[in-house]
Amino acid sequence: MDSLIKEFKAAYAGQLGNDLAKTLTPDVPNNAAQLMSVWESGNSQSIKDDLKFLFVRDKSARLDMSSDEAGGWQAIYYSYWKALGEILAAEGLRKSRVKTSWTSVYEAWKELTSQIIRGYTNHEFENWTIPCLYVAGKYMRLYAMRADAERGNNGDEMVTNFQDDFDPETEKHKSLEDCARQLNRIFNLCLSDRAPLSESRKWGIYYAINLLFKTYFKLNSAALSKNVLRVLSAGRGDMPDFESFPKSQQVTFKYYEGVLAFLEENYEEAEKHLTLAWLLCHKGATRNMELILTYLIPCHLLTTHTLPSVKLLAPFPKLQTLFLKLATAIKKGDLRGFHQALQEGEDEFVKRRIYLTLERGRDIALRNLLRKVFIAGGFIEGAEGGAQVRRTRIPVAEFAAAIRMSGGQDIDTDEVECLLANMIYKNLMKGYIAHERGFVVLSKNGAFPGTGVLPIRGMRYAESTLRLSFAGWPTSVLWEDGFISAGRG
Amino acid sequence: MSWASATPPGTQPAYASYAHAATAYTPVPVRQGFGQPYTLQPQYAAYATPTNPPPAPAAPPAEPQQQQQKMDWPDKVRSYVQRSFESKNMLPDVSREEMEAKLKETISHAKDAGIMYTTDWDSMPLPQMLVRTQRAAQLEAQRATQMLASQWQRPRQTRLVLPTITTLKRKSSDLSESDPSTGTPWRSNKKLSLSDRISQPPGLDSKSLKQAEKAENRKQRFNTAEYKTYRSPSPPPPTGPILGTCTNLEKNYLRLTAPPKPSLVRPEHILHQTLDLLKKKWRKENNYNYICDQFKSLRQDLTVQRIKNEFTVSVYEIHARIALEKGDLGEYNQCQTQLRALYASGIKGNAVEFKAYRILYFIHTSNRTALNDAIADLTTADKEERAIKHALEVRSALALGNYHRFFQLYLDVPNMGAYLMDMFVKRERLAALANMCKAYKPDFKLRFITEELAFESDAEAAQFIIDHNGQHLLVEREDSIIFMAGNAKQLFETARADAHRRVDLKGQI
Repeated sequence: MDSLIKEFKAAYAGQLGNDLAKTLTPDVPNNAAQLMSVWESGNSQSIKDDLKFLFVRDKSARLDMSSDEAGGWQAIYYSYWKALGEILAAEGLRKSRVKTSWTSVYEAWKELTSQIIRGYTNHEFENWTIPCLYVAGKYMRLYAMRADAERGNNGDEMVTNFQDDFDPETEKHKSLEDCARQLNRIFNLCLSDRAPLSESRKWGIYYAINLLFKTYFKLNSAALSKNVLRVLSAGRGDMPDFESFPKSQQVTFKYYEGVLAFLEENYEEAEKHLTLAWLLCHKGATRNMELILTYLIPCHLLTTHTLPSVKLLAPFPKLQTLFLKLATAIKKGDLRGFHQALQEGEDEFVKRRIYLTLERGRDIALRNLLRKVFIAGGFIEGAEGGAQVRRTRIPVAEFAAAIRMSGGQDIDTDEVECLLANMIYKNLMKGYIAHERGFVVLSKNGAFPGTGVLPIRGMRYAESTLRLSFAGWPTSVLWEDGFISAGRG
Repeated sequence: MSWASATPPGTQPAYASYAHAATAYTPVPVRQGFGQPYTLQPQYAAYATPTNPPPAPAAPPAEPQQQQQKMDWPDKVRSYVQRSFESKNMLPDVSREEMEAKLKETISHAKDAGIMYTTDWDSMPLPQMLVRTQRAAQLEAQRATQMLASQWQRPRQTRLVLPTITTLKRKSSDLSESDPSTGTPWRSNKKLSLSDRISQPPGLDSKSLKQAEKAENRKQRFNTAEYKTYRSPSPPPPTGPILGTCTNLEKNYLRLTAPPKPSLVRPEHILHQTLDLLKKKWRKENNYNYICDQFKSLRQDLTVQRIKNEFTVSVYEIHARIALEKGDLGEYNQCQTQLRALYASGIKGNAVEFKAYRILYFIHTSNRTALNDAIADLTTADKEERAIKHALEVRSALALGNYHRFFQLYLDVPNMGAYLMDMFVKRERLAALANMCKAYKPDFKLRFITEELAFESDAEAAQFIIDHNGQHLLVEREDSIIFMAGNAKQLFETARADAHRRVDLKGQI
């Protein structure tokens, strides 16, 4: 204990928040021996007096600290010492005691967290100490998850609420749900600080938010994150600039903000946030870049109909297996290949919640196929002996034949018309269906918008109309056009 | 709970009134540990609900008149009675009351007919067996009458014409008993002889109603709170799942605001009888308010006792189906949430059927996150099941805007999925029309819409269009009606947007 408090005093004297937080970090895998010695240096009878001595009476290293604040720190280290006992017991490191449950570890750690929060509300802790809050929140979440996992589904505890039905989610995530409430307290503690920015706890807010997001996603109630965002945007005026927060916090926050928009099918918004996260992300953080791309790629597919290039995916073998097959099928207009790729990846796609989005890539594949039919139709004589123009009246039967070949199964004409109608409805193809006469009349100018199929033989197209630009991106390198390359006839 | 210990003075008034103030019955202590003489007394037949039946009835009764009778009983009769009460001979589906009534009837019949000494009591079937046999016979009779009037055909008044298509469309949801694969549990006609224990629906003759009421009152007196608290003063607050002691079959639903009292909670074996009763009542009366209320209290009793087994699953499944049929999505969703957890914990039930409903339900509520979860719950084997395959295809057809496929799937829905699809079919018709109006020019026959959007007739299709202010788009030409798709402009697009915005989210978690 003595050594711990010595470390505390050194960190406090130098106002080193991270060092301070280190004294409250129960990093068992790396630090077991040291933590053991801290725990063994105290006993339940004398620990309070020991701490009092160290903080108040020990003249050798007095700190410039009000007695009130010193009391707050005492209470924190007392809780920490108790929690440490539980942690070491749960890890099976204490020989003298039987293993306890992670639930009691969680409870002990929660008590410590409350003490720290109280430090800010009642004992005037300064804002450079907020890394202590980070440590408290981080480990609280971990212990809550371990407690839930340990309890598993055999929660035989008393029904405390008077529900008519079981609440399966609550029973499975009891500790984590409680943890979310505690994290919310931390969030509000940071949010509600009215001190000037230089001394404000607002600097802790994104760390707290990111922890909350993680927890909500784990609880399968990502929608609750929306409330946090709402509160945040309401108070944005008094907040420090987003850019002045640590980059790691920015990336995480933007990632979650993007995924939230993605889950709400707001793909443009999602693309904006995810792109920012991608650009800010540390180049060595492969796992994080992978996560960001997992959502950014489907976004691009829907918003700009672009697909990742081989080069973009090169450093990410996982993403290659996930997306390459699908991308190739889309480009080729290969309906069966698309179906297969989607089916093969289904479990993984569903797990990452991108299945329903990727499925819509089928529209692009179909459109590429139909475009091939259009191009295969070739040219007819132009009016009054002019240049040859593309044939724009195409029998439904021709499209039907293509879909049958590409899809590998039979399909009746009405369904083909329905698919064509969809293409037109979604602006992927321009023209109309003449049902009674059984053909499609395509637009003379740009029947397939965005791909530069030119109506007149011999005409050249401008590069700019073909590639869809994407702000801030070296698009030609990283993103390829999802549409098949332009046919010049 | 046994009479043997029920000697405090406080019990006497209740007991006395129960025994119709027969003074001969007041010396309670005499009867301690002995049988209940009145079980063999004809005048108590109607009461039939002694909450505290005697442990063994064969011992000599204390009452003189009874003694007289006792003398008449041959030993074989007495051992027959004894056998009837032996716990190993008890049947789970025959209540003690029923058994006692039957026993009494048997013996008094033997006495009246003067065959007391000639009957072979040793080979005589025990009363509980007799009750069972009687039930089976009743069941047969009931079946016969039900064949005539099946109220279970799905009401189809919205669809006017083409009866052949109608039956084709709904064949799997008609709940016909002959189809074992889609057989619905609450239709099974098992136990039917419980009518003497339940409140009667209105319309029965007043006499039997009065009697039932009296019996009920008596029971109430017997079960009053003071009475209970007197017997066991200050029960300790429950620390675990409670065990109910209530034996009423029916119970009104009340939201819990305090820990449940065991005296008001029905134990599992009673709940089994309750479920049978509810199934029967639902079939007979089709009163959804009543049924929903009863099912909620049934679920509550299961929850407070933490009963999670196949019976729990069947309760939720049945309630879910009834709620579906009545379009009560709130209750349905509560049930399906429970079912998901119950199946996930490995309890058997109709998981496939309900996983398919779950997908359809989230299509209806347009809840993509939940839909994703529902798909994540499926195993590879699940995906091969017809019902689930169907639901997944519906989902995929809608995701890709393939209305042609969607309406074909609508015409052939397994189980009761059609009730769910009915809820969003209108919305999808509008979407399809918006689509067609943009893609087709200049016009096509109305018949094309009828076929593509699975209307039952041109008239119905026309009505749908007129209902959405599209009468100007319908033109008569030669012998057919033409739909002027090219002229519709934004009409259906606006209607589609409206319909998709308004998803009823009640009961959604």
